Formats: sequence, structure tokens, C-alpha cells
Amino acid sequence: MKADVAVVGSGLAALVATRSLQKAGRNPVLIWPGLSSLYFVYATVDVLGYSDATSLQPVEHPGTGVAALIADHPDHPYARAGLDALGAGIALLMEWLEEAGFRWRGSLDRNLLLPTAIGTPKPSCLYPESMAAGDLGRDEPIVLCGFEGYEDFVPELAASNLSRSWGAGDQSVRAIRVSLPGFDSGKMFTSIDIARNLENDAFRREVAQQIRGKATRDGDHVRVGLPAVLGLTHDTDVYDRFQSELGHPIFEIPTLPPSVLGLRLFDRLRKHLQETGVEIIWAAPAHAAELSGGRCRRIHLKSAGREQPVEARAYILALEDAVDGAMRAGVRTIRDPFFHQTLAQSGVPTDRTDESLFKAQPFARVGYAVTDRLQPVGDDGRPLASNAFVAGGAIAGYDPAGTKSRGGLAIATGYRAAQEAMAA
Amino acid sequence: MPDTTTGVVVIGGGSTGAGVLRDLSLRGIDAVLVEKGDLASGTTGRSHGLLHSGGRYCVNDLAAAIECVEEGRVLRRIAKTTIEDTGGYFVSVSEEDLAWEPRFVEGCGKAGITCERISVEEARRREPALSKHVRTVFWIPEDGHLDPFYLVMGNVESARRRGAQVRTYTEVTGFTRDGNRLTGVLTRDTMTGEETSIGCKAVINATGAWAGFVARLLEVEVKVVPVKGVMVVLSHRVAHATINRCHKPGDGDIIVPALSVAILGTTSARVPHPEVLPIEWDEVRHMIEEGALMADGVSTARAMRAYAGVRPLYDLGAEAEGREMSRNFAVIDHEERDGIAGFASIVGGKVTTYRLMAERVTDLVAHRLGVTTSCTTAEGPLNDRDDDLDQLRHRPAQLGVPKPHGDELSLQALVCECELVRPQDVAPWFADPAVRTLEDIRRRTRTGMGPCQAAICSYRLAGRLVTDRHQDGPTATRAMADLLETRWRGVRPVFWGSQLRQAQVTAGLHLELFNLDRQLMFQSQPPSHALLPPPLPREGRGGGEEAHAPEVASKR
Repeated sequence: MKADVAVVGSGLAALVATRSLQKAGRNPVLIWPGLSSLYFVYATVDVLGYSDATSLQPVEHPGTGVAALIADHPDHPYARAGLDALGAGIALLMEWLEEAGFRWRGSLDRNLLLPTAIGTPKPSCLYPESMAAGDLGRDEPIVLCGFEGYEDFVPELAASNLSRSWGAGDQSVRAIRVSLPGFDSGKMFTSIDIARNLENDAFRREVAQQIRGKATRDGDHVRVGLPAVLGLTHDTDVYDRFQSELGHPIFEIPTLPPSVLGLRLFDRLRKHLQETGVEIIWAAPAHAAELSGGRCRRIHLKSAGREQPVEARAYILALEDAVDGAMRAGVRTIRDPFFHQTLAQSGVPTDRTDESLFKAQPFARVGYAVTDRLQPVGDDGRPLASNAFVAGGAIAGYDPAGTKSRGGLAIATGYRAAQEAMAA
Repeated sequence: MPDTTTGVVVIGGGSTGAGVLRDLSLRGIDAVLVEKGDLASGTTGRSHGLLHSGGRYCVNDLAAAIECVEEGRVLRRIAKTTIEDTGGYFVSVSEEDLAWEPRFVEGCGKAGITCERISVEEARRREPALSKHVRTVFWIPEDGHLDPFYLVMGNVESARRRGAQVRTYTEVTGFTRDGNRLTGVLTRDTMTGEETSIGCKAVINATGAWAGFVARLLEVEVKVVPVKGVMVVLSHRVAHATINRCHKPGDGDIIVPALSVAILGTTSARVPHPEVLPIEWDEVRHMIEEGALMADGVSTARAMRAYAGVRPLYDLGAEAEGREMSRNFAVIDHEERDGIAGFASIVGGKVTTYRLMAERVTDLVAHRLGVTTSCTTAEGPLNDRDDDLDQLRHRPAQLGVPKPHGDELSLQALVCECELVRPQDVAPWFADPAVRTLEDIRRRTRTGMGPCQAAICSYRLAGRLVTDRHQDGPTATRAMADLLETRWRGVRPVFWGSQLRQAQVTAGLHLELFNLDRQLMFQSQPPSHALLPPPLPREGRGGGEEAHAPEVASKR
């Protein structure tokens, strides 16, 4: 098939790149490799939570933080994408989210500290409205509510940790549990099952009534934190109704997989693209790019048992890290799926990791070396193809885990790659 | 006065110590087992889980082979629930292997090992995984898989039902004596530092590779040579039966299908200390290449982790090294040899022969104590309540130990999806004082042993530390992090293929979704440095005070 610009990826970088092209009046095709484990690790969109991987002090103003990072590290992918791309990409995303029926909040002016499922404050830049009442900059007491038989959010663990880092003065945090009508704790159920059931009015009211009974002793101002299971497809409705039924502000906290927040975000944005006329090639992993004359001529997809070539004027390679197949790791080398290039910074197996899982991992920094225009380069430092651009975590040289910056980087590079692809 | 008294103190919580404890309890002798780590956390739990028919030793070490034959048959009677009777193949893939064959056949004959030569075609029909390199095949029906964790837990639970006690994370720091007679042991809790004394009439040193360190506390020598062996865990069973290379034992020449995985073993290298067990990625790679000569699927299977164990080879004074040394065992009567009454050591040997080792040393100690009851450990099953036992994979909870795999798996709640562990399988262990870490839960239930290496279940287990054990959040979080870090150590030497994706999901969950790295940094701060939210930009929280942010990385 032929296309104007082909975008390959399953995450935020691919989605933002595709949307940018669509909004600019171009005709992108999104090549979606399939449901990826990226969905597990997304909840909020983090732009820059900490200035480096070892700092304990959260970044207050992510916009200023990224500007400082760019000034200090001119080779950082944020520097390559540029602060303007981050700002424009976020504006584009927030407008899009609204159009697609989401209610998201936040800006580059401020990181909110939101509690996680282990009760640790985490700086987040953009977040669904359903998480906003968890803002730890506010003083209202918190009740964390779990469900009997649901082990993927343990309010007692979260409350115990949170009470140690947050809980001065009037602030207080406590754990409660309620039961889910009809859910037998001996049977397997996941966040998705609960989310679907909470879309049922009778079920939700019964849960709300139980919570109200247990949370009132904490006073009128108490807010209630719940696992992020408040509706799968009708989440804003569920949120509004649940909150009024409960009579207290409520907020969601991301859980163990499956992450309902990630599913809502990616599924609905992808669906919205399709509804607004973007062609999507479903569940087709890309496995080779064809180069000639300094340009990428086609990429080959594995699609429904046969190979399908896609020919486009420009290509955006927006697979994000190993999570969604951006690299193929052999014993001695790590290669990319398009050009079969040995990626920058890949070493022998034990050199790919740190002794501790909780420190910066060398393998996370593996990726394409890119030009200032985000073109992947070969060993000679020259672009492999003048019309191919990389977005997201597949760019070499950064590890989003320690700085909490995966989302922002995906947006900035996705937006910038789209601009470059249009010019190519 | 000692804090408590008993008949015999058993030092060491591996298969030998657990076997000794059961043997003593069956003879009606009061006993306490002390172990400096967890049960099955040393050599036993780090074995490759091959229930030896004896085929591997029948050429070079006939005595050990004969013991394996006899004990393998005993274990099939008494510990059926810990055994998967897979049978095994011995395969030749090279000229040298073919030259070894006559000696192998002769050795099997001498040791009494059932051994049947089958055609390669027939072997492939039964075991399609056999590689194209395979030239000849022997079928050895008595090779199998022995689950070392369940073996130890089964012995210990059997002894506990008869009143024996177990103290984990309890290190022996010294002995009390009355002249030449031992009267007790001094112990220290390795976690709390609490010191206690246990009065007793005799002490059995069943510490395997650590036996020399215990003996040294009494200024006597027990020469044990620690020899490291590395194992690789493949994410699926690869073959139906165990596969051995038919040659002089070497690296990477055993494949053991074990529950949901296959274990590829092993190497042999003398190490300076039983706890210094480095694993190099290229030795792992070499083993995979060697294993791939025997079975297809070894090189393409996902290597999930690597681990190393240490063989406790007893130095009989010969010149032999490593694999050349006998896998036989020895009972040391320190009263006779060193003039220390009430002290015996059991050294050498292997998991397959643990019961016989326990019997021999218990015979000696019982005799010295004047107990005439004879050994009955070969008679009844570990679980005395049920004669109709099934094999490992399908067993119900016959050991009085919660089982790892449910009967009806459909739609049951699971704590660990990889290994199909249910809440009711883990819950009782949170009430057992011998269980001190989440790794201990793993050893008893297999939670966290699957492809995700505890990425998911670690959170649920940490939750249970708070809800079931009433620990505080930071303690539970530290325990969760410790479990993940221990698993991570085994992942690092096999970091290729799907392992990167898995690691990124694990890191994404714990670092990005949970912010666990900051939680650990925060916990390691003095309490005054609270992780307060930063001052708000406009509304303000009073401004003035800046939250303090010392740059301390989480230390482990």
C-alpha cells in the first residue's frame, strides 16, 4: 500500500505524531504492532518528575525543569526535540483528549504530587481529572479504599507508607475496605472486571453506600482514594456519579496490570483517530525497511500471515523501548527491527543492567543515535535515510524510569518527528 | 542455664538436616533444627532437581551410583509427592560419547540401574525434542525430577507434627561444653541479633559446604571442598523426560524438566567460599550451546534466570578435583576422632541420598544417646496421613504443606499468575514464624518463580505483610524490593531476548507507576527528612522552608 506518512508504534509517541499529521491536513497511516505492555506502565503523563535519577526532590515546574535539562545536556532527546515541540505537543494532546471525551488536567507550569499504589508521592504533569483530588499539596484528610479479594491495590500498605511522608498537621490518611457485590473472593477478577461493573448504577451505588458508611467518621472534608477502576469506557460518567453518590471528592490510583488508565487512554485515542479518518493497519509488526538513494522506500509488515510492503513519503519509527518491540536483543548485540543496525550503547548481557533493579539501567539507554532532526544515523554518523525519523524511547541515551519522563519525551519527539516528516 | 533444652540440635536446614530432624522425631528423640538462612536456601534449593538414577555416576563413582539406585527407589515410596517420574534419556552426540558407551552400559549393570538401548527413531517418536545431533539413546526409567523445596518442607513438617522445632535465620555462634562433652549451642538471630542458648545432649552438624565453619568453632577440622555449579532456568519444559549426555560428566549436559520450566545444568568450579558464587553470562551461554546439542528448543527457549549452587564435596584426602571427587558421603564421629563427645558431622553426598545420610548419622547419635529405636524413615511416606499420593504436578496438599498448583485452576483467584499460586496456598505461611522474608514464601509456594520473576506478585505479597502480618508500610515495601532484587540477580546473566521487555515492564511498574525507587530513598532517610510536597507556586504553603533533598541513593 501507499501512504503519505507511515507512523509505526503503539504508544503516545506514535499517537501524537499521527495526530499532529492529521491536524496539519496530511494523510498519515498508523501501523499499530498490537497491544503492548506499554499499557501496563502508563497512567499519568510524566514530563519530568526529578531532575536526575538520584534526586529525591521532585521537580516543581516541569517546563522550567526541561529547559534546564536541555541547557545542561545538549545531546538529550529533549534537547533534540526542543522545548517548543514539548509545549506544542502538549497543547495538541490536551485539545485532542478533550475532543475524544477525556477530561485531563495539568500543564507544564506545575507537577502535582499524587499518591501511588504503594503510597509514595509521585510528581505528575498531566493527569486525568479522576486523579486530581489526590493532590498531596492539599491538606484534606485521605481515606484509601480497597476491595475485599482484590489484591492489586492494597490500601493498608499505601496508607502506612503515605502517612510517613505526608500526614503533618491536619493531614491524615487511613485505609478502609469494602466488598464488591457478587464478587467472590475465591474467584479470579481483575481491575477490568471491577471497572465494567462500576458502570452499572445499582452496583456502583451499593459500593458508594458502603464507602460512605466507613469514611464519614473522618469528617466532611475527607477525600477518598480508590484503585483506578472507575469505569472502562464511561469513566467520566462513572466518576461524576460515584462522587456525588459518595458525597466526598474521590480520586483514582493506578493499580497493578491490567491498568485501566492505560487502556482507556490508548484505546480511545486510537479509536478516535480511526473515527476521524486515519487509516490504521492493525496488529502488524514491522520487520524490515528498504533503503535506496539515501531514502527509505518501503517498510515491510508481517500482516495476517503474509508480508505487506508499505510505501510512504516519510516514516516515523515510534516504537518505545523494548516494551513494544523497538529492539531485538541477541546475546552479543541489540539490533533495531527496521534497519537491523546494531543500536548504540548495547553491550554484553551483564553490562546491560545495573546490579540493582532500582537504579538507571544501561539497557534502557540503548536505542538509535539520531541527528538534530531525529533521523536515525548509521555507524558513520550520517542519516540512514533522509525521510525516516525516530520518536519516543527508541532514541538512544536516556532512561525515563529514574526521572519519570516517559510521557513528555514521547510527546515532544512525536510532535517534532511529525514536523520533520512533513518537511521531508 | 540454657534458654531452652532439647535432645539433639541439628545444624543446617537443607535436605540432610531436614532428613535428620524427621529421623530423630520418628525415633522419639526431641530435636531442634537451627538454620542460618531459610530452609532449603543453600545447596539443596540450588540443586538442579535431578532425581539421580545413578547413571551419571556409574562409571566413575560406583558406590555413589549404587546409593542413588537404592535411595531413588525409597524416595519414590516415601516422597512421591515431591517427585515427577519423568524417566530419562542418556544420549550420545559425538565420537567420544560413543566411546564412553560400553563403560556406561557396564556401569549400569554393576550398579543395578535399569538401562535400555532404544533406536534413535523410537527415541524421537517418544521425545521429539531430541536434536539431530543425537546418535544413540539409552532409556533410563529411574531418572526423574525431585522438587528440593518440597522435599525439605515435607521432611520438616513431618518432624514438626511429632514435636520437633525449627528455627530459621538462626546462626550457631558457639557451643557450651562440660569437659569433653557438648552441652548445648549458642545461637544468634541473623536478623534481630538476639542471642539464645539451647541445651542439648548431642549436636549434629548437617551444614554441607559450611560444615568446616561449624567444626572450626570447636577447633576441629572438617575438610569440605566447595564446588560451584551454575544452572539456567528455561521458561518451558523443553522435553518430557530428563536428558543426560552419555559421556564423562561435563558442563551443560543435563536437562531436567521441572514443573513449568526446564533446568539446564551444570558447571563445576572450585570456589574459595560456599557463598562466593559468581555467574558469568558466557558460561551460561556455553551451557545453552552444550544443551542445544542434545535437545532442540534449548537455544530458542527463553532463559529466565541463572543460579549457582555449591556441591559440598568431602575431601577424603585423594588428589581428585571437582567432578572427579566422590559424591559419596561420610559420617564423622567427633567423639572418636577428636575426643568431643556429643558431636557428629555428616558431609558429602547429594540430595538424592539425603535420607540415607540422615539415617547413618542418626544411627550414630541415637546409639550414643542409648536410644535403641531403629530408623523408620524409609518405611512411611513423609505425609503419614495419606497413602494414596499422586505425583508432584498433580498432588493435592498431602504434605500438610500448601500446594503450589491448584486442582481447579479455572477462574480461581491467584497471587502468582505465572506459577498458578492461589491465596490459600500462601496465606498459611504468613502465620509460620520460620518464614521471615518473601523469598521464604517463594521457596515454599513457587510464588515469583515464573517468567515475570515477581514483578506482579511481589506487590500482593507485600500487601499481605501489612494485612496478615501487621507489618508497617516501609518494612513491607523493603521486603518487596528485596524480593525483586534477589530475582533480578538471577536475571542479569541471561539478559537477552524477551528478558529486556520483561525487565522494562518490571521497571515501568515499580519505578514509574509506583515510584518505588523514591520510596526506598525516602525510607533510608532519617525520619526528620519527610518527603513533603514542594511549596505550591501560587497558593503557597507558607513558602520559607525548602524541602530538604539529600542525594542518597538507595543502598543495598
